Amino acid sequence: MAEPMISTRDLTKSYDKVHALRGVSLDVAEGTVLGLLGHNGAGKTTLVNILATLLPPSGGSAAVAGHDVLRDSRAVRGCIGLTGQFASVDEKLSGFDNLVLIGRLLGASARQARERADELLDTFDLAGAARRLCRTYSGGMRRRLDLAASLVGRPRVIFLDEPSTGLDPASRLSLWETVEALVADGTTVLLTTQYLEEAERLADIVAVLAEGSVVAAGTPTELKSQVGERRAQLSTTRRGDTVKVAEALRRAGFAAVQTPEEGTVSVPVADFEDFAQVVRAVEEAAVPVTGLTLSEPSLDDVYLSLAAKPVAAAAR
Amino acid sequence: MTVTVPTDRARSAAPVRWQPASARAQFAVLTGRSLRGLVADRRLVVLTLVQPLILLVIFSQVFGSMASPDHFPAGVSYIDYLMPAILVTSGITSAVGSGAELIRDMDNGVLTRFRSLPVGLHWILVARAVTDVLRTTAQTVLLLVCAALCFGFDPAGGAWGVIAALALSLLVIASLTWVFIAVGTWVRSARIMQSVSGLALFPLMFASSAYVPLDALPAWLRAVAVVNPVSYAVDATRALALDWPLGGDVLGAVATSLLILAVAVWAAVAGFRRPLTR
Ligand SMILES: Nc1ncnc2c1ncn2[C@@H]1O[C@H](COP(=O)(O)OP(=O)(O)OP(=O)(O)O)[C@@H](O)[C@H]1O
Ligand SMILES: [Mg+2]
Repeated sequence: MAEPMISTRDLTKSYDKVHALRGVSLDVAEGTVLGLLGHNGAGKTTLVNILATLLPPSGGSAAVAGHDVLRDSRAVRGCIGLTGQFASVDEKLSGFDNLVLIGRLLGASARQARERADELLDTFDLAGAARRLCRTYSGGMRRRLDLAASLVGRPRVIFLDEPSTGLDPASRLSLWETVEALVADGTTVLLTTQYLEEAERLADIVAVLAEGSVVAAGTPTELKSQVGERRAQLSTTRRGDTVKVAEALRRAGFAAVQTPEEGTVSVPVADFEDFAQVVRAVEEAAVPVTGLTLSEPSLDDVYLSLAAKPVAAAAR
Repeated sequence: MTVTVPTDRARSAAPVRWQPASARAQFAVLTGRSLRGLVADRRLVVLTLVQPLILLVIFSQVFGSMASPDHFPAGVSYIDYLMPAILVTSGITSAVGSGAELIRDMDNGVLTRFRSLPVGLHWILVARAVTDVLRTTAQTVLLLVCAALCFGFDPAGGAWGVIAALALSLLVIASLTWVFIAVGTWVRSARIMQSVSGLALFPLMFASSAYVPLDALPAWLRAVAVVNPVSYAVDATRALALDWPLGGDVLGAVATSLLILAVAVWAAVAGFRRPLTR
């Protein structure tokens, strides 16, 4: 396998009393997306900040594009783009001037920097507000400018720490499309998110972080099959009917679960054959069924089962 | 657990990337940014320029009428005596503000952005210091012109004496600016910085030979004033402007300022290198 673009080994980080990371090892190949999921305080931002050379690790090692984050931090910073969890734009400058400033710091000529700024302002739908001071931007506009700022130098590796927090649905979709286009061009992305939908859509590999350790990792499909299962859900209008439906399904050999309060019965279905049997069983029972839905397991289930906060930690 | 993402999608597409900016370019771009921040708000520009003029009016009128002639050197008008001191002390306010401005940048996240770029961290501080010293230069030049035109400031040292005094006072201000930048990089909290500045400002300005001769001060205060670097600076500036015998004043003030400058720059860069915790 080619050298990974992001690589960590037994990475640890401790603040005075808090162990934010307890030995994280991961490899991300060029042109792929790693989605990092985890509850509040799991250590996502800490990991991103270490990789972006903003924080020194307490132990272990980390390298980006082959450069060690401690020994070669300048080289690392030369090939990354960072959108941190908190907006980082200059309030006293316009959106356009912010991007030009970053372009100039990255070594662009004045003209190159201006062209790049216009390009990105278009991409992120900020062209109309380009000349306004950022102080007057809305939260979502600031966030989009922040995203644009991290792309100015066409970095090979991009860190996005909860990039879609505070974006409206349209902006979120356009962010996703932008990320997909970047990845198609060979950019490597590490993305943290609370939105499972986002990880599912963008990530090649999802790693679940809990209390500073990776507790599960795999493709979204792998994780789903580990935890969730496809289920069929049948709804009835009368309470008594749910019992009848459940009984009919059990006779046919299904582990049916009934929720009489909601008037629903749910059964796991592995394949189409199972599904057909469910339909037949219900038909034989001759009970009116008003709805039938098939639900795919979601990353939600992965997230809940693996990263569920231990009760004791919830008070933190 | 080791997480490995497969390598199937790597492409060879290599978009054009820029060569990292040279040190000179980084300095120029960052200073340009700070200067724009300085002039972004017109109201603030006016206030900044007017502030030392108010100091001048108040001191010349209020203290000028009260200052007992016994303590003052014969043949020197109070305005001539006062101006060199105002040159130095008006800059102190802006030096103190330097640290606060740096912390403001930390708080609104711009510095996080800069720290993720391949930029020499020290240039961020140098840009801040140069900007604030330029501001002080604008303030003091305006101050000198007003004093000469409206208050009859006409010291014995003549134009060259005043220019030398201005240069020296700017050196002193530069060193104090770095002191407060250094404090800012270590405390990193706007509120603590404000308290520190408030604590430092008045003793620096008033427990010195700036407004009255040292002989006029009570003994304990005189002791403080003697070790206050502002006293050296004011004495030397005054000697240049008033064409008094220089003695060791100027050399001492230059040497002290350079020493403070060196230590403060070192402390500021060291403080700034520590990771941001947010
Ligand atoms: N400067 C600090 N000092 C002490 N503890 C800290 C510091 N920064 C982070 N922590 C702790 O480290 C742990 C991990 O924090 P981190 O910010 O990485 O979490 P996160 O996964 O990004 O959470 P969120 O989803 O809320 O952004 C938390 O318990 C947090 O309290
Ligand atoms: Mg976070």
